[in-house]
Amino acid sequence: MSKSKAGLLQGTLDMLILKALSLGALHGYGIGQRIAQISDDTLKIEEGSLYPGLYRLERRGWIESEWDVSDNNQRAKFYKLTRSGRKQLILEEQNWERLAGATMKALRAS
Amino acid sequence: MSRIKTTVQSLHAWRHPEQIACEVEEELRFHIAKRTIANIESGMTPDQAQLAARQSFGNFHQIKTECCEISRNLPFDPGPLRMGIYIAIAVLAGGTALWAVNIPHHNLSAVLWQLIAIAVLVRAFIAGRRNKVTCQSPKE
Repeated sequence: MSKSKAGLLQGTLDMLILKALSLGALHGYGIGQRIAQISDDTLKIEEGSLYPGLYRLERRGWIESEWDVSDNNQRAKFYKLTRSGRKQLILEEQNWERLAGATMKALRAS
Repeated sequence: MSRIKTTVQSLHAWRHPEQIACEVEEELRFHIAKRTIANIESGMTPDQAQLAARQSFGNFHQIKTECCEISRNLPFDPGPLRMGIYIAIAVLAGGTALWAVNIPHHNLSAVLWQLIAIAVLVRAFIAGRRNKVTCQSPKE
């Protein structure tokens, strides 16, 4: 499979953040790293754009944050998924699968 | 429960904007510091690493401002709440006007309370209309 960097579709960032956090609490930098890792380095998000996304998700109550100490003893803000965030992730995954399936069907049509 | 928590956080952000700005800045600087370390580990000089980290992060001040603004947003539309408050004040003023009518020699204060009730009701009506306008989708 090609390793060229794929651009993100609008709205996909929220789903990817929720997915990254479903595996455990992380700080912003860690979320970016995890997204790159779980997508096998195919999806690279613009680093700064992650933060407004995180703040918006927190406003919606899908994630929550608290300050803690990171692995190198620095103060960092850690995010974790809430119960409603977990439900939202399931919904987003279902929507995404439906959309991807429909797009694939359209592309294969002769 | 989380909605109540985010509402409290929004109100806190309104009351202490400078504290929120400092926290956002600390969070963003932490990210750049982590990226700088990763860049050094991948073979860059400290100066190159920091420059590359700043470039890959994007417009620091714009992102910081955006995050601060989002922190102040309420997790719900405040329009209906505002209208509800106006209606509650109008009902209270109307009730006070009715009460003042029954007190001898207090007709002037009854009229005053009636005027206040009408004014607040008009304000609630305007707030309601403004809310409807905000909810309309933009014209093509």
